[in-house]
Amino acid sequence: MDPSHNLASERSSIESTYELTKYLEYQLKEIKDVYLTYLGPPFNEKDFSPPRPNSTALTLPSAATRLELWHGLENQARLAQNQRAYSILLAAVRELARSTLCPSLKTSLLHFCTGLDGLLGSISALMNSLGYSSPAQAAAGELQFPQRGTGSNRPAPLMSQSLKVEGFWILRELQSWLWRSAKDFNRLKKRLRASSLTRHRYY
Amino acid sequence: MKAALGFCLIFLTLHSPGVLSLSTHVAIVYPQDPVLRMGSNLTASCWVHPELGVHANSLFWTLNGHQLPSSLYRVLSPTNLSVTLAGLNASRQTSGDNLVCHNHKGHILAGSCLYVGMPPEKPVNLTCWSRNTKDLTCSWAPGGKGETNISTLYKLKYKLRWYGTEKECEDYSHTQPYSCSITQDLHLFTPYEIWVEASNRLGRATSDVIILDILDVVTTDPPSGVTVSRLGQLEDQLSVRWEAPPALKDFLFKAKYQIRYRLEESQDWKVMNDVGNQTSCRLAGLRPGTVYFVQVRCNPVGIYGSRKAGIWSEWSHPTAASTPHSERLMSCDSKSSGDSNSTLRRELKQFLGWVKKHAYGCSSMSMKLYDQWRVDMQKSPKTRNQVGSPRG
Repeated sequence: MDPSHNLASERSSIESTYELTKYLEYQLKEIKDVYLTYLGPPFNEKDFSPPRPNSTALTLPSAATRLELWHGLENQARLAQNQRAYSILLAAVRELARSTLCPSLKTSLLHFCTGLDGLLGSISALMNSLGYSSPAQAAAGELQFPQRGTGSNRPAPLMSQSLKVEGFWILRELQSWLWRSAKDFNRLKKRLRASSLTRHRYY
Repeated sequence: MKAALGFCLIFLTLHSPGVLSLSTHVAIVYPQDPVLRMGSNLTASCWVHPELGVHANSLFWTLNGHQLPSSLYRVLSPTNLSVTLAGLNASRQTSGDNLVCHNHKGHILAGSCLYVGMPPEKPVNLTCWSRNTKDLTCSWAPGGKGETNISTLYKLKYKLRWYGTEKECEDYSHTQPYSCSITQDLHLFTPYEIWVEASNRLGRATSDVIILDILDVVTTDPPSGVTVSRLGQLEDQLSVRWEAPPALKDFLFKAKYQIRYRLEESQDWKVMNDVGNQTSCRLAGLRPGTVYFVQVRCNPVGIYGSRKAGIWSEWSHPTAASTPHSERLMSCDSKSSGDSNSTLRRELKQFLGWVKKHAYGCSSMSMKLYDQWRVDMQKSPKTRNQVGSPRG
C-alpha cells in the first residue's frame, strides 16, 4: 500500500467534499429567500429573529461552538459531528418540503435534499477511507423522523406559527453548519497533511 | 422572586438557544391556525404565562409584520390581551397570514397562522379527450374569480354510466394545473360519467357531470413526413404529401385530413377542408415564385364503425416550399413549324390547361386523368362543360 497514493486520494476526497459544502451554501441562500417569502412577513424581513424553538430537529448541537474546542477536535470527532448534524438536518428539510404547499418551492427543497444527501455520502465515504466507524447514521435513526423517501403518502401537516418558526431556524442552522463545515474540511486537510509528514519521517 | 424567575425564563428562552426545555408554553395565541371566510371578523387573544411577569397591556400585535393599532385591543385580564379584526382580506400567502403577539420590547411571544379565503366555486369548462384510445385526459378551470390563497384540492372522478363504482383519477399533471389523465382500465363502447370535485377547508363544490364515450373524443398524432414539392413547371401549384399517423394502423377507422397554407410573410391561413382519406393533395391557384408554409392535421373518423368524427390532431410542423417563377418570356411559339413535336406540345398545353380548370384538388396526376381528358375532348362542347372533377 502506497501511503502517498492514499494521501492523495484522501486529499482530493476532502477537497470535493469542501467544494460541495460551498455549492450547497450558495444554493441554500437562494432557497432561503424564496422560503421566507413563502412564510410571509415578518419572516422575510431583514434582522427578523424569532425565539429558537425546542423541537427535535433543533436539539442537535448547534454549529456554533467555542473556538478552542473546535480547534482541538480530533479528526474522527470532527467528521462525526458533521455527519450527525447533516443526518438530522436532511430529515428536517424533508419535513419542511412535505409541509410546503407551493409546488415549485417544494421541488426546490427536495432537490436541495439530494444535495445534502450527497454531502452525507461524501462524509461517510471519507470516514470509511480514514478508517473511522460511522455511528451517527444509527443515531439519526433514533430520532422519530420519517426518513423514507420524498414522496410521502401522508397528508401534508398543517402549517402553523410554530412550524414556521421551526422552518426558519432549520434553515438558519443549516446555513451555519455549511459555513462551519467548509472550515472543518480545511482544518482536516491541514491536520492530515501534518500527520502524513510525521509518518513519512519514519519511513 | 416571581419577577426574577420571570426574567430568568425570558433570558433563557431568548438568549440561550436550545438549552431550555419548558414544559409549558411561555405564551399562546387563540385560536391556533383558524380558517376563515373573507370578510368575516376575528377576535384573537394572547395569553401569557403568569410567571413571565408581563402585563397584558404591555403587549402588542402584528399581522404580517405590521403593527395593529391599539384601538383594536382589549385587556381581558392581566395575562390576556385580545385583538379584533373586522372584514378580513384574503390571506397574503398560502402559508397563512402571520398574527403575532409581542412583548413591549418587540420580542415574539406566540403566534397563529390565519387562513382567510373563500370556499371553491363550481369548476367549469370540463373537457376530455383520448389520445388514440389509449388514455383519457381531462382539463377544467376553477369557477368564478379563481382560487384565493386557501389551498384547494381538485379531484377528477369518473364512473361507467350504467354500472361500476366511482373512481378517482390519479395522474395529475405537474406541468399543467387543472388537468388529469386516466391511463388504466379504460372501457370502450360504454359511456362514462365524469366530474370534478373541488374542496378546501371552507367548503366544496362539484362541476357538472359530463357523459361521454371514449370513442367519441378520440384524437391522434399529427401526420408525419409532410413534404411539399413543385409540380414540374406549374407555377401556381404545389403538391403536398404526408403519412398517416402510425397509431391509426391499430384501428379500424379512416382518417380525414385538413390542410392549411399561407404565404411566408402572412398570418392568414387558407384551409382546405375536403381532403378526404388520401395522403396527398394538390394546392392550386397559388402565386408564382412565392414561398408557402403548409401544415396538415388529422381527424380519426368512424372509429370502430362510429359515425362521429373525432377531435382534430395538432397541426404538423410547418413545411415550406416555393412555386416556380412565372416565365413570361417569348412564348413557346404556337406559330412554329407544324412538325409532330409541336402538335404534341400543343396537345399537352391543352391538356394541362384542362387539368388546371377541372382537376385541381386532391386527385393525383395519372394516365387515368389523361384518358379522362381524351374522353372529354370527344364529347360535344355542351356536355363537356357539365359535371365536376374527374376521379383521380
